[in-house]
Amino acid sequence: MVRRLAWLKWRLLRNGLRKDWQRRIGLPGSILLIGWGATTVAALYLDRVSGLEGAARLEFAHWSALALFMFWVTLPVVIFPLDENLDPDQFALAPVSPRQLVTGLAVSGLIAPSVVILLVTIGANVAAFNEVWPVAILAGLLMAALMIVAGQMLTTLISAILHTRKGRDLAMLIVVGIGLFGFLSQQVVRENLREVGLEESVLAHPLSDTAWLLPPVAVQRVVTDAARGAWAGSLMWAVVAAGWILVMAWLWHRLLAWLLTTPKESPSQSRKRGSAGLASGRTWGVRTVMARKELRFYLRDPRQRLVWTGAVIFLGLGAASVLVGTGGLSLFRDRDWLPLLAPVLVLFVGLPIALNMFGWERNAASFLFVLPARPRKLMVGKNLAVAAALAVETSAMAVILAILSNSWAVLRFLPALTVCSIACQLAVGNLTSVITPLRLPREGTDVFAQATEQGCLAIVSQLVSFFSIGLLLVLPASVMVLRVQFDVLPDWFAHTFPLVWGLVFYAVSLWLAGKLLSRRIPEVVNWVQVV
Amino acid sequence: MLSDKAPVTTQTEPSSDAPIDAREGPAVWASGLVRRFGKSTAVDGLDLRIERGEFYGLLGQNGAGKTTTIRMIVGLLRPSAGTAGIGEFDTWASPLEVKRRIGVLPEEFNLYERLTGAELLDFSAAMHGLGQSEARSRRDELLALLDLESEAGKLVGDYSRGMRKKVALAAAIIHKPEVLFLDEPFEGVDVVSARLIQQLLQRYTAQGSTVVFSAHEMHLVERLCTRIGIMVKGKLAMEETPAGLCARTGTDNVEDAFIAAVGGGAESEGMSWFDGSPG
Repeated sequence: MVRRLAWLKWRLLRNGLRKDWQRRIGLPGSILLIGWGATTVAALYLDRVSGLEGAARLEFAHWSALALFMFWVTLPVVIFPLDENLDPDQFALAPVSPRQLVTGLAVSGLIAPSVVILLVTIGANVAAFNEVWPVAILAGLLMAALMIVAGQMLTTLISAILHTRKGRDLAMLIVVGIGLFGFLSQQVVRENLREVGLEESVLAHPLSDTAWLLPPVAVQRVVTDAARGAWAGSLMWAVVAAGWILVMAWLWHRLLAWLLTTPKESPSQSRKRGSAGLASGRTWGVRTVMARKELRFYLRDPRQRLVWTGAVIFLGLGAASVLVGTGGLSLFRDRDWLPLLAPVLVLFVGLPIALNMFGWERNAASFLFVLPARPRKLMVGKNLAVAAALAVETSAMAVILAILSNSWAVLRFLPALTVCSIACQLAVGNLTSVITPLRLPREGTDVFAQATEQGCLAIVSQLVSFFSIGLLLVLPASVMVLRVQFDVLPDWFAHTFPLVWGLVFYAVSLWLAGKLLSRRIPEVVNWVQVV
Repeated sequence: MLSDKAPVTTQTEPSSDAPIDAREGPAVWASGLVRRFGKSTAVDGLDLRIERGEFYGLLGQNGAGKTTTIRMIVGLLRPSAGTAGIGEFDTWASPLEVKRRIGVLPEEFNLYERLTGAELLDFSAAMHGLGQSEARSRRDELLALLDLESEAGKLVGDYSRGMRKKVALAAAIIHKPEVLFLDEPFEGVDVVSARLIQQLLQRYTAQGSTVVFSAHEMHLVERLCTRIGIMVKGKLAMEETPAGLCARTGTDNVEDAFIAAVGGGAESEGMSWFDGSPG
């Protein structure tokens, strides 16, 4: 069974490459990118380990193992991978025991581009502790097993959470929570390192004593104990690490057994949302109904909700900068113009939707595009919804930034700048959505998840669009700087110029995108449909 | 615009008392329609002519090209060659005119799963330009007729397969289109609702509207269709009335006639391992 699942994973990978030329470019590109990142981190690790001595060296190795483990297991939560092997439904009727499945999936987990990270980092650890290299290799194997089992277990746990609608809604909070926790941890570590240095920091917060509770540290202690000549301790930690791997494999096994036998949420359990429909509001017509449909999806689709709660992350960053008082972000606190940053920050939030309007339709695109609505009206409807959401988020964020910086006077420029930045984003977004519509992955919202579906072209298209928006905003932003910082322009000009600039670009882009879409509907439908 | 060589073998006139559209020409047509996917050809030079008021059954085995044909006629898939249209309008020259005149029952997974049933119908009505009060009254009638009233406030994603079919059908007919394209409309629908839908569709075609119907339930095809087109490997292999089809193939029902027409019915030879006890 192990062999068969490994074969299946290999065939899925190979067939994906054969079928899709973009993947043929994207996959080697991702491997190179991942390899480059892993090598950089590994080189940094080697440099720091060689610069430390005694207990500090060993504690730094423990912390590094923990950081690598945390990165590895939480990565799939943020960038949920498209791993067809892990779909438990596909094995529901196959005569495969959960134990066989666990072993098979663990081995097939090695057939993935991300395994480069394991190879490089384990290689770095062997090089760092070359005096006990056979033990470091053995510990490396244990670490690989631990990371694969723990990573797969967490991915399965996410599948289990996503199994129900409530879980899918909860997943959004988990992702936001992990993002905030990661940022806060990074800030705390950074401050600590800045204040007392690496050696003092690791010695002040040793992990050796809590290694029982931390599986990756237990694995690393196999090496560090051997390095200081404590061979019995090394052996004991190998047993502890193996025990942790077995516990995690057992938990994974239980989760898979549950997933294979538990039906998805039954229809009768879902909440009724009232039968008023869309025909109860005051406004009616293609644009408004389309906008109202979009707004409902922003609230009801967990993935779109995740996109819009991106603002919460920025707010979290702001709060963190105040609470932790970090050097980086706290510099901004005293700036008068801080509230005017809100329209720019919010731009990042709406991008996944604004640049791929029809991708979010997924298979429903074939329902939408047999309806006799003018493409331009459809786009205006979608734009209205994005603009409404961005305007609300910008206003809220601007007020919070004004409180943080105690700067209220510049808020009078906010409406013009907000309209301008939303209009520029939509202007680029409309064209990008029509020219390079992206098929959304089954899970995930970020640009990397999109790349897993459509290769590096997706990244290129999104990056070009992002920089185009930035370029369009240079002139209105300069006008604001001249007015707010240097006081060289009249108020009326600072109000009018960004408005006219944004609206002109929006109007031109809408006209062009409408023309293009009316000719490209079959292509758009074909691109965005999820098979 | 239309091909002279459309292989119409039998034409069924709509009932004489029906309010037939005054416009000339067929309700649905295709001329030299070709669709290639890489090296394979899904639809291969299809000519089609469906008259107003017809209940036309487009049949074929899996992969014969039925869905591809329908998707090209309604404007969701660009043909590699040839063209198609509704009435006097070419799908690719006047897409909005065509879309105003059609209703399409999509595959079940192509609906907005995060809208409620009522919202989906409102959305469809608004996109077709129906007034708000008219949309609301048609929506309520359709939901009542299809026994979805109590489920109107639930998300479509939480509907059963049959309920999805019913709400998709309601969305396709809420604007009373001239031509209705139905892809497997009865799959998963309960018997009572299926009978209701059949009556509704027969009433619909009796008034001069047209149904293009793709299904595998041959007893329904036999009962409902006034004419049948059988597709084999992307081509229209045969086109007849149900009775004419039986007569041409020397069979006494549409199912046998279909199997004869597509060259099926071979005995399951070999498979000796399949005989005897299981295991």
